[in-house]
Amino acid sequence: MRMTNKNMLHNVFLKSLRDERWATIWWVFGLGLLAALMMAIFPSIQGNDDLNSLVESYPDNLKALLGFSELTDVTSAVGFLNAELFALMAPLLFVIHGVILGSGAIAGEEGRGTLEILLTEPISRGKLVIQKFAAVAVAAVFLALALWVVLVVGALVIGMEVSFLRIAAATFSLLLLGITFGSLAFAAGCFTGNRGTSVAIVAAVGVGTYFMNAASGIVSFMAPAKWLSPFFYYNAADPLANGLNPAHAAVLLSASAILLGAGYLGFRRRDLRV
Amino acid sequence: MDIAIRLDGLSKYYGKQLGVADLNLEVKSGEVFGYLGPNGAGKTTTIRILLDLIRPTRGKATVLGLDSQADSLLLRRSVGYLPSYPSLYGNLSGHEFLTYLASIRGGVHWPRVTALAGRLQCDLSRPIGSLSRGNKQKLAVIRAFMHEPQLLILDEPTSGLDPLMQAEFEEMVREVKREGKTVFLSSHYLPEVEQLADRVAIIRQGRLVAVEEIQSLRSRALRRFEIEFAGPAPREEFARLDGVSNLQVYGNTLRCDVAGGLDRLIKAAARHTVMNLKIHEPNLEEIFLAYYEDDQQEHVT
Repeated sequence: MRMTNKNMLHNVFLKSLRDERWATIWWVFGLGLLAALMMAIFPSIQGNDDLNSLVESYPDNLKALLGFSELTDVTSAVGFLNAELFALMAPLLFVIHGVILGSGAIAGEEGRGTLEILLTEPISRGKLVIQKFAAVAVAAVFLALALWVVLVVGALVIGMEVSFLRIAAATFSLLLLGITFGSLAFAAGCFTGNRGTSVAIVAAVGVGTYFMNAASGIVSFMAPAKWLSPFFYYNAADPLANGLNPAHAAVLLSASAILLGAGYLGFRRRDLRV
Repeated sequence: MDIAIRLDGLSKYYGKQLGVADLNLEVKSGEVFGYLGPNGAGKTTTIRILLDLIRPTRGKATVLGLDSQADSLLLRRSVGYLPSYPSLYGNLSGHEFLTYLASIRGGVHWPRVTALAGRLQCDLSRPIGSLSRGNKQKLAVIRAFMHEPQLLILDEPTSGLDPLMQAEFEEMVREVKREGKTVFLSSHYLPEVEQLADRVAIIRQGRLVAVEEIQSLRSRALRRFEIEFAGPAPREEFARLDGVSNLQVYGNTLRCDVAGGLDRLIKAAARHTVMNLKIHEPNLEEIFLAYYEDDQQEHVT
């Protein structure tokens, strides 16, 4: 144990993962519990037409806001998982996770003053940015893997008819969404050096783009707005039903890469805060 | 390499607010150089530019022959830095903290770390978050010294250290000097620098006021004396002495400011029965005042 501990202090990447080890365990536990509960509920909902007619009775606008499509059958495996997990709850959690880690990576250390120690060691700002970001991304991967495992095991236990590959596609899409917002928080932290500012920026962008995507289905003149929303690229192609949409995944990946690059440029140029 | 640190017209503005203005300075290799000024004078600003934590508005800094910005990575290999009020990782133990930074550095000679910890009586096993200010300071000192850097940049190094550890720290600085390394020692407190430095620069409101040998600074510094005699204070004898000013007598007690050597004053006092003797070390403000008075006289003549 002591040996492992020491190895985790070998570089900034491993140390940053190590710092998040307890938080990650709690996140995995919480998300896993949520997913397991959903799976436990499903047998009582499967084929329940009353529920379907209830959801159908929702106003279309409400359905759009909740991320249900016209054709959602909430009593089917895919419809249920989408409605209960992938439409709102899971993306919300992945975005929050990404924002906490992304804003803390550079701006968090800067606020605590430890960045001054780190950056007076012989490590370049570029290397620091890459390693810090890698730790954010890998922590999100742990979360996504855990979700996939719980859903697959749950599906096996209750005999849910759903493709494990499609669950992987949906979970991967979720991961990309989390990383996109994590990158935004990371970049905002790189520019401002202030964790609070970074979180505020991402909260505004997150809420704004969520409603841009939702409203595009309700109000016709808002239709083009969805193209600017990460939430559109996350789930509009319904990866749980149709598999991963490579183009949409590529958009999220590119956005993350651009944000990371911009964050580096912003961080490289500026003075460290006292 | 003769010059360890060289500042050429170095200026830093934070927006419109002045950090430092037009600093020109050379610190020789192998010397202990004191960088003296009151809080907010620009000492830490200068140091943060040397380490590329912030970028100068104008001018440049050369450290160990390397450009402070372009070659920062390379020069940080050879520099040990002790920040004022260091923030360390509270969730790590001292051992883990030093292991982490040593790894980033590509490894250090670990027996040296153990030896430094022993000298400073620093317990490396405890979590940093539970340490007192002094013990955190010790860890920050170890991290500055552990890779045997060519240049040590120390910002208010002994704050938080108890007197015994201050003495140990001073000995460590002297050893480093004997090994031919350079020490840049920043402080707002003259006695901290006086014991160690060969030369001193004085900075005030972002500008260098003077660069001097420590002896000449000391000789110019006014020290306030208070002597209590057994009988009435012999005012006339002291008024005649060179370098004595601001003479006041209250019954048996005599007060005066003394510039330069103290020998004559002590000998004059020794001719009488002295009950008590107090010397107030000059503080920076008093030294500055001495300089300002000189400046003004130069303007007048």
